[in-house]
Amino acid sequence: MESGLSSLLSVSIDFETSHLFFPTIIHWIMAGLFVLILVTKVVPFLAEVKRGERTLPIVGEPMDAFRFFGTLVLIVAYFYLMAVVGNLFPYTGYGFLFVSMAFVLLMSLMYMHEWTKKAVTIVVINAVVAPGLAWFILAKLFNITLP
Amino acid sequence: MEFLSLLDITFFLLAGFGALIGIIFGAIPGMTATMAVAVCLPLTYALGLHHGLALLLGLYVGGISGGMVPAVLLNIPGTPSSITTTFDGYPMARKGEGEKALRVSVIASVVGGLISAAVLFLFAPMLADFSIKFSYVEKFLIILLALSVIASLSSSMLVGIFSGVIGIWLSLIGDYSISDGGNGKTRLMFDFMEPYLFEGFSLLPVLIGIFGISTILLEAEKGVKSDLSNERIKFGKGGGFSLSIFKGRLTNLVRSSFIGTFVGMLPGVGGSAASVLAYTQEKNLSRDSSEMGKGAPQGLVASESANNALTGGALIPLLSLGIPGDSTTAVLIGAFTLQGIQVGPLFIPENSETWYIMMTALVFANIVMFFLMFYAIKHIAKVVMVPKHILYPIIVMMCVVGAYAINYGIMFDVWTLLIFGILGYLIQKIGLEVAPLIIGFILGSQAEVYFVKSLESFGTLSIFFTKSPIAIVLWLLILASVVFSIVMGLKSRARHSQEFTTDRSASRLDKKELS
Amino acid sequence: MKFPKTIVGLGSAAMMMSVAFGAGVAQAADGPLRGNVRVVIGSTSTGGDTYQNSSIVVDQLAEHLDLNMKVDAVGASAAFRALDRDSRGNTLMIFHDQSYLGYLYGVQGYDNIFEKYTVGPTVAINPGNAYLVPKDSPYETLDDIIAAAGDGETVRVAIQPGGVSEIGFSALKNAISIEHPGMEDNLVAVNTGSQSDKNQQLFDGQADVINGTVQANEQYTRLSEDDQKAMRFVWLTARQGTIQQAPENGLGQTSREQLLEFVEPNVTVTMGGDETFTFDKEFFFLYNKDMDPAIVEQIDEALTEIYAEGEIQEIQKNSFFIPNFKPSEQASEYLYDKMSRYEGIIENIK
Repeated sequence: MESGLSSLLSVSIDFETSHLFFPTIIHWIMAGLFVLILVTKVVPFLAEVKRGERTLPIVGEPMDAFRFFGTLVLIVAYFYLMAVVGNLFPYTGYGFLFVSMAFVLLMSLMYMHEWTKKAVTIVVINAVVAPGLAWFILAKLFNITLP
Repeated sequence: MEFLSLLDITFFLLAGFGALIGIIFGAIPGMTATMAVAVCLPLTYALGLHHGLALLLGLYVGGISGGMVPAVLLNIPGTPSSITTTFDGYPMARKGEGEKALRVSVIASVVGGLISAAVLFLFAPMLADFSIKFSYVEKFLIILLALSVIASLSSSMLVGIFSGVIGIWLSLIGDYSISDGGNGKTRLMFDFMEPYLFEGFSLLPVLIGIFGISTILLEAEKGVKSDLSNERIKFGKGGGFSLSIFKGRLTNLVRSSFIGTFVGMLPGVGGSAASVLAYTQEKNLSRDSSEMGKGAPQGLVASESANNALTGGALIPLLSLGIPGDSTTAVLIGAFTLQGIQVGPLFIPENSETWYIMMTALVFANIVMFFLMFYAIKHIAKVVMVPKHILYPIIVMMCVVGAYAINYGIMFDVWTLLIFGILGYLIQKIGLEVAPLIIGFILGSQAEVYFVKSLESFGTLSIFFTKSPIAIVLWLLILASVVFSIVMGLKSRARHSQEFTTDRSASRLDKKELS
Repeated sequence: MKFPKTIVGLGSAAMMMSVAFGAGVAQAADGPLRGNVRVVIGSTSTGGDTYQNSSIVVDQLAEHLDLNMKVDAVGASAAFRALDRDSRGNTLMIFHDQSYLGYLYGVQGYDNIFEKYTVGPTVAINPGNAYLVPKDSPYETLDDIIAAAGDGETVRVAIQPGGVSEIGFSALKNAISIEHPGMEDNLVAVNTGSQSDKNQQLFDGQADVINGTVQANEQYTRLSEDDQKAMRFVWLTARQGTIQQAPENGLGQTSREQLLEFVEPNVTVTMGGDETFTFDKEFFFLYNKDMDPAIVEQIDEALTEIYAEGEIQEIQKNSFFIPNFKPSEQASEYLYDKMSRYEGIIENIK
């Protein structure tokens, strides 16, 4: 009995495949929990959706599609262009500086609900000053590598 | 007291200046104490060892403390170790109690910092001998204990644990790193991802993506309306803060400080595990923890005292074993080697002057940090008054800087922001829980290394129970934590159903009145 | 056309602004290397020897060439990738023997640097690679360890797999297979991570020997024997000639004389025949294969002049590095030879 238990508990790990040992355990736990959740949460939820008591997340909810997808598009463009422009001026941080200015400006304008002259002026000043300040302090003063 | 002659005005100015710069670094989402120390490291060569150390220790203390600001006000942990500060700090800020939350955090921080400094000063060599009793086995159990908070942190235990396991899974993506003794092979990805994901997702971009970017996406979805809660913010007269908040919280304060010091002292565990563990223990041990996670000051006390106590703790193995306790002290080693000084078990006896100097700088930096923050809070808390259309673009921009700079300039870390921003958005939409997931992510890779390495050394699972008395104690704590969360879960379910029935009868009453 | 119009527009606007910003980019008056230069290193630590050594060299180079140069600790995989992408010479890399040892050990993410990159000049040696035993260990010398393994005793050595930390272990295993054929499997690797992990294995009694460094472990060797943490050097892998160049005071309280006790001829590890094994951890530049050869030359020249001035040697020795400048071509040949020698060892014990 004693030896049976100890052989049950004994584990030998081959170094060559040891990178898969722990992930395999996690996969099994994850699969088990997923099934449990499917049965106890998701199925009843879908039944409620079918009966019209609740709506599906995301698709069934009202959303400000312009601002939501606008944000996603802006962020993707921001990240992408930053690297592209940065590559034109290697390791100067100009990619970050100039693309950030455009990004901050566009995102501010997109999120603004009432376009008054004063508000737009503030937004424009902010779009120039904030990235400029960040760039100057970090890239110049602290010598941090920026895109 | 020969070292007193080495203390001059410059010394104190540098320590204070360091604390200030550190706070600013910590307060900017994405910039960390580690980064602050790293960028100022070259300066120390010109300053000399003692002045250099004053500056760096100031930066360290300031940087760790500054992390509370965005955690409370913006729900973005400024440094990974302030993750648990968001759990209660942000709900308080939402209720208009941001200033109060910050004051509680600052006091907790300074107490944590000073307790750990005292522990460091009095017991460093002794504790170092204790810390080497923790091998892979015990470290795994500590991580397990910290993970056990997941069960009690979530509203539905099943969903919470599932979210936590997803977090662990995400942390395993990448190679089983050679620097942890792994075989350096990648897993959980396709070949084409390898150039980007070889080392997996890095922690900081994941954190600020899942907290910062996803918050912005959720707001964008709602149209970024100006928030009425701004008007409800209580300003002036300390924002509803009084010292009486700490009444009955002293045990929590002291316990969390010791937990922070202790975790900081274990090489490799360090960092974020400290505040998570302190938070777990407060949740388990305090008489009433039902409000934790919804805006309870006690959560802030636990989290902030622990993460500041980390500073003294992490210096223990650095100065008495030559081994850094966390990522910041790893950079700090550079300051010593730059000056040609070796840190190791004989550092304190052989460099007693430097040792006293460091203690002075540490204590002084904590005090400066306290006064700077305590009196600046009034102004800092007004960040939430900035209109969102100005604030959000700047947050995104600073997140980008932080993500790009954390590993010294890697573009994929910036894309990680977006990936986890969207993931964080989806998670919240489909009803999974963010906090357990992120705790799983933070602790997952350490859990793997300690677990697999324990088994490689001993070849049997029974080692986790038989290794040492320390292991038994840890198991008892884990057991207590699990039992506690089950009991709490049952209790809250009972309360829920009770509320539900009273709700129903109330609505029935309404109907009657109407008819 | 390579870029969409808008980007070019944005780019030229940026260009104009950069002119307006004035001294944003430091331009070298002459020489093909211009603009801001980033030196990536194969380590993620800014407290480690690679970073320290790289910043010494890069600071001197930047001053000499009047350029903005910056060391970034991005780690091996990211550093190789950054180097792959940039053939303009704005990205350079400094790394050590790990760069080819990783390849020899078949570690994922390492390629043959002699094929994929241009190997640049060597700049310094870290002479500190060492093997240690607990102070109360029954093994007095490295020969005891070889003999014990030859006798059938299991000797466990804590190393970090796949590189600099493993090469000494491999050489030892090779020596055992030569002196006591068939007994080499008695030398067992305990694969672990950082220096603290290796020390911990020794404290836990999970290893009999550990790989370490003079810098990190010197103080442990001066603890009294009853201290659980006390250790003793048994072997430094460096060449005798390397240690002889170390400062006379050595490191900490361990003098050069004492360090010399642990290198040849006092400690020898055979590679078969007359050849013996030594290993110096050398730092060198790596360049993108398509980079302008004029830049290679420019850096070679600059370094030649810097080393002729003699100041850099003092700084390096102060930090316990041994100055070791070889211009690109010579370095490349030398390192290729070095790799071939170690390749034999690793093949032998497979």
